[in-house]
Amino acid sequence: MFGLFEQPAASRQDHSACSGCSLCVLVCPMWRARRDPRFSPEGLAKALQCGATVAELAAPLDACSLCGACDPVCPERIDLSGMVMALRGALPRAAELDSQLTNLARQAASAAAPVAGALLLPGADLRANPALLARTQMLLGYGLAQDDGADIALALETGAQVSPTRRRRFLDRVEGRTLIVGDGLLLAALRRWLHGVRLQSLGEALSSQVAIRRRLTSADFYVIETRAYHAEFERLVTYYDRLRLETGCALNLDLQRIAIPAMTQAMSRRREMLADEDLREARWMLKGRQPRRIVVESLADRAVFEKSCDVPVLHLAELAED
Amino acid sequence: MHFGACVVGSEGFDASPGYDSLHSFHRMVLLKISLVEPGTVGPCPVAPDALQGIKRQQTNPARWKGAGWQAFVSALDAAGMELVEGAAACGVYATDAGGTAYGLPHGVVVARSAGQIASLLKAAQTHRVPVTVRGGGLTTEGESVAFGGVLLDMSGMSRVLHIDAKALTVRVEGGIFWHSLAEELRREDLDYLSAPLNLTSSVGGTLGVGGIDVNSARLGCSADQAIALQVVTPTGEIVECSDSQNQELFQRVILGYGQFGVITEATLRVRPYTPLSMHYFYYSSLATAIEDLQMLDRNDASDYSGILTIMDCAVNLLVAFDSDEREAAFKANWESRLRGYGEFGFALCMLGHYALRPWKLTEALYLLQRKREVFPEFRRAEYMRQGKMHDRTVVFSRAVWKHWGSRQMVIPDLATSADKFVAAVERGNAVCRKYFPRYTLYCVGIKLRPEHQAHYEMSCVPPDATGWAYGCEFEPIIDGEVYSRDHFQAFKNAIYDIGVDMGASYYRFGGMMKGYIRRVFGDALVDKHLALKRKADPAMILNRDVIF
Repeated sequence: MFGLFEQPAASRQDHSACSGCSLCVLVCPMWRARRDPRFSPEGLAKALQCGATVAELAAPLDACSLCGACDPVCPERIDLSGMVMALRGALPRAAELDSQLTNLARQAASAAAPVAGALLLPGADLRANPALLARTQMLLGYGLAQDDGADIALALETGAQVSPTRRRRFLDRVEGRTLIVGDGLLLAALRRWLHGVRLQSLGEALSSQVAIRRRLTSADFYVIETRAYHAEFERLVTYYDRLRLETGCALNLDLQRIAIPAMTQAMSRRREMLADEDLREARWMLKGRQPRRIVVESLADRAVFEKSCDVPVLHLAELAED
Repeated sequence: MHFGACVVGSEGFDASPGYDSLHSFHRMVLLKISLVEPGTVGPCPVAPDALQGIKRQQTNPARWKGAGWQAFVSALDAAGMELVEGAAACGVYATDAGGTAYGLPHGVVVARSAGQIASLLKAAQTHRVPVTVRGGGLTTEGESVAFGGVLLDMSGMSRVLHIDAKALTVRVEGGIFWHSLAEELRREDLDYLSAPLNLTSSVGGTLGVGGIDVNSARLGCSADQAIALQVVTPTGEIVECSDSQNQELFQRVILGYGQFGVITEATLRVRPYTPLSMHYFYYSSLATAIEDLQMLDRNDASDYSGILTIMDCAVNLLVAFDSDEREAAFKANWESRLRGYGEFGFALCMLGHYALRPWKLTEALYLLQRKREVFPEFRRAEYMRQGKMHDRTVVFSRAVWKHWGSRQMVIPDLATSADKFVAAVERGNAVCRKYFPRYTLYCVGIKLRPEHQAHYEMSCVPPDATGWAYGCEFEPIIDGEVYSRDHFQAFKNAIYDIGVDMGASYYRFGGMMKGYIRRVFGDALVDKHLALKRKADPAMILNRDVIF
């Protein structure tokens, strides 16, 4: 387990290396909701080893939220999230999704070149909330990228192809800068694509701010955004452990220090109503805990907690004094 | 000859009759084929005499042919039960943690309720369809692999039903992983008593075989923690049982290797959660380390104790405590009696040892590398608070999978009474040395409960043990090497032969090792249990070929 600790990302393996230890099952929200091994990374890998077709795996592939919890616990260092993303590419895509990708790509093409210096790439959820975006930008003091790679993030999630030209154009605009990235999947991809660039998740960047950190207390339940956390687990497990020690806040970590996701649906289905499994997951996180406030890094998680408990739910950026 | 395809004992070795032995020896050296003891697989595994001397006690059972399968499927369908077939559903169960037994079921049922399992078993009896029950799939001898028939996946029943924090008990579904139980208990500041150091062992599976922890010398095996069970019998009755209710069934299901029923619910003892204070002592003698381990156990001097070897000359005795008081008492009364060294003292010892033996440089480097890789795992900052280790099972399990885990795991074991243990372990260690360049031994004591004597019949607990039984697992470090099944089987047989010779028992005597059952337990006891099995399971469908 945790073979990722000392291994560079390049050494990660494919599904054929799965030995069936089930460690990924323990942390998989998709499995927790269904208790059916087909709905787990191990189920997918083993089915592929035994000759299952991608079409036969459509249901679990669609259900996976790509929270990335499985990646750091795999002792064989299989790129399980990458496996899901690649397999999704072989599934037929809804026309609605294609048109969404086209719209995002069009917006990116017409975006102005970013200002010089460090950049904030807010991601779709934060961009949809202009007031919070402005507050976040003010707190961080970074320039805002009009082209934040939202089309690339969605393509990664859905397994769609990104044209090399589009990718190159995007990378040219951000290369060599310090970047704060709101989308966890895009952040992980940028780590693979860019070298020598300082990259941080939005959660880490905001929680590092003194104005925010000093407002966290032992009465808070702090919800880490899972994708960014698991993509750089080895470093961030130490970072958040320190945050917990310094502030006394409780974290959405299980005993393996894996982050439990609140939002368990794939992004393509998030526009739909919250599912029972999301609410169950949030209630599981809060079981045995009585926080007076919930602080989330991701706006997607805020909706789940607002519906499943009656304590105030704040985004991290809302924590700093005005 | 295809050099790339040649492995130890591989069927791919292209030998011609009459090859000369010197040439063969040179080829073995070139190919890094290890020499094995006479009577096991020779240099050419397809030579006419290749199988001579291999006491292959058991191989994979033949696949069930499927007679009556369609009628069985129709019966389940009529009962509204979901049974899934095909690669996407069955592939996940192709092997177990051992990775040497391979088989596929005809179909899979994910457990949802005792009632559903009762219907399944009734239909299976009627249509004579084998049912293989799987929890975490952490068997090593193919016990949880289905060679045809239906596989019942218990992970579908994996919830905590009720925690009684006052009475310190918990009621769980049988398929729950111990780790999932720990997650729930921690929210109430509780912990289970003892469980295997593996996150994905299931409660039901463990109660059926034993379950050894590093606190078993004090608290007994996991199966001893069960107060009551809900069991679905092989003929489909749902029965609550305990030491006071349906006692005979309880005695047979606990440590019964899944032969007498499916555990659908269990009530277990639990305890307040505590972090651990860990101490490590290092020995260059296995026998001395075992003697010290047994001295600690006899005197109730520690809360946790166990031995893990790195090499024959580097043996680690782990001692840990739940409370400062117990730790202080150990330091005052027992620590000075241990003959092991601290880390620094042992490093100096090893330095001296290898300075006088420069030709053993490779061995010294391996020891150093193992220390550098493994030790930090037990001291990760996020699991340590004020010098105490939190969530020990996560820490241990992570280390086990990372440093001992492999796509194939072969872990023969010996369980003996206290007085036979040193000799058994030393003999087993000598077998390891013959078969593998690197291996690890894990030794631990198991406190026996006199009132549970009936549970222990025909189990891993040796019949002559009183007070404590001791278990040792012999695990080769495979580490990317490829060995044939014959090599593994010969190794396991050589270990198990020691058990027969010494009147010991085994933890893993089912599946591929079941050929040892009569030899070690004797005909009278085995026939008694076989008669009970035939009565309880007329069509012999439940976990066929695991024991009977």
